[in-house]
Amino acid sequence: MENSKEQNREMTAEESLSLITETLNNSRKEITRRSGKYYILWGALLTLFSIVIYLLWKLTDQAAWNNLWFAMPVIGFLLARLMSRKDTETHVQNDVSRITQGIWSAFGIFACTVAVFTIAYSYVSDGALDLGRTIRAMVSVASLTAEIVLLFGLAESICGVALKNWAMKIAGFVTGIGGLAIYYITGAAEEQLFIFTFAGLVLVTTGLIIKRQYR
Amino acid sequence: MLPKLDPLLHSELRLAVMSLLAGVEEADFTYLKEQTGATSGNLSVQIDKLAEAGYIAVEKGFRGKMPRTVCRITPQGSEAFCAYVKALKKYLSAGKN
Repeated sequence: MENSKEQNREMTAEESLSLITETLNNSRKEITRRSGKYYILWGALLTLFSIVIYLLWKLTDQAAWNNLWFAMPVIGFLLARLMSRKDTETHVQNDVSRITQGIWSAFGIFACTVAVFTIAYSYVSDGALDLGRTIRAMVSVASLTAEIVLLFGLAESICGVALKNWAMKIAGFVTGIGGLAIYYITGAAEEQLFIFTFAGLVLVTTGLIIKRQYR
Repeated sequence: MLPKLDPLLHSELRLAVMSLLAGVEEADFTYLKEQTGATSGNLSVQIDKLAEAGYIAVEKGFRGKMPRTVCRITPQGSEAFCAYVKALKKYLSAGKN
């Protein structure tokens, strides 16, 4: 084998250092190369779904085709699982691969929950099924405050992924999605007060939990 | 005076294994074999030596029905690896002077 380290021979200092550098670089490249296939998978799915949904919407004039978006994470997740099974023979994980995986998982969980939550809210808010309202909710942008609190929660969850801390991951989710819930429940006048007070309290609670964990 | 190089790390295959594990959280036997190009027998012997010295932790388990051996560098191993790299640098700078 070309890069075989079969020999247990003594090496010079230079050879040892260059072996360390070469091994570390090759390993990093290999881990990065492996992540490429998941970008291809999700990129292809995203492109395919956007084209199909656009065409169906356009041809039938039925915005309800947007519900097909919910099939994308399910199909993507199943395909990603299938692809990762091929990797069972060789398993390697470093900080970068763990954090990258965590960031995208956090994003996926946030995006799906926001979509489900928004649609569910628009269904039940006035006690009746209102498709028009649901569609508006799906395509409209929420308030700036709601967007900020969502990003805030996502950032906190990602920090939890990086630091391997479940309290932070969950608190980020609670902050982001809870903030969005407050946005829908309260009126525009109070939203900032309630959302940011809530976010602040969750942050403080997280800090206290972390302090207890690492006492 | 130049420091003594750790004899356990100053061998090509063991150093390659330690370098691989120093850059990752964990890696399985097959990955190490693939990256080093060593035979299973030789790699297994060298992994045992590193584990006996407390430089790496070896966990044998299953993934599905397939047996899997996962290796991780230990804090003691990280320390030894850093000390080894520092010693190498001293050797190199002494060679230049």
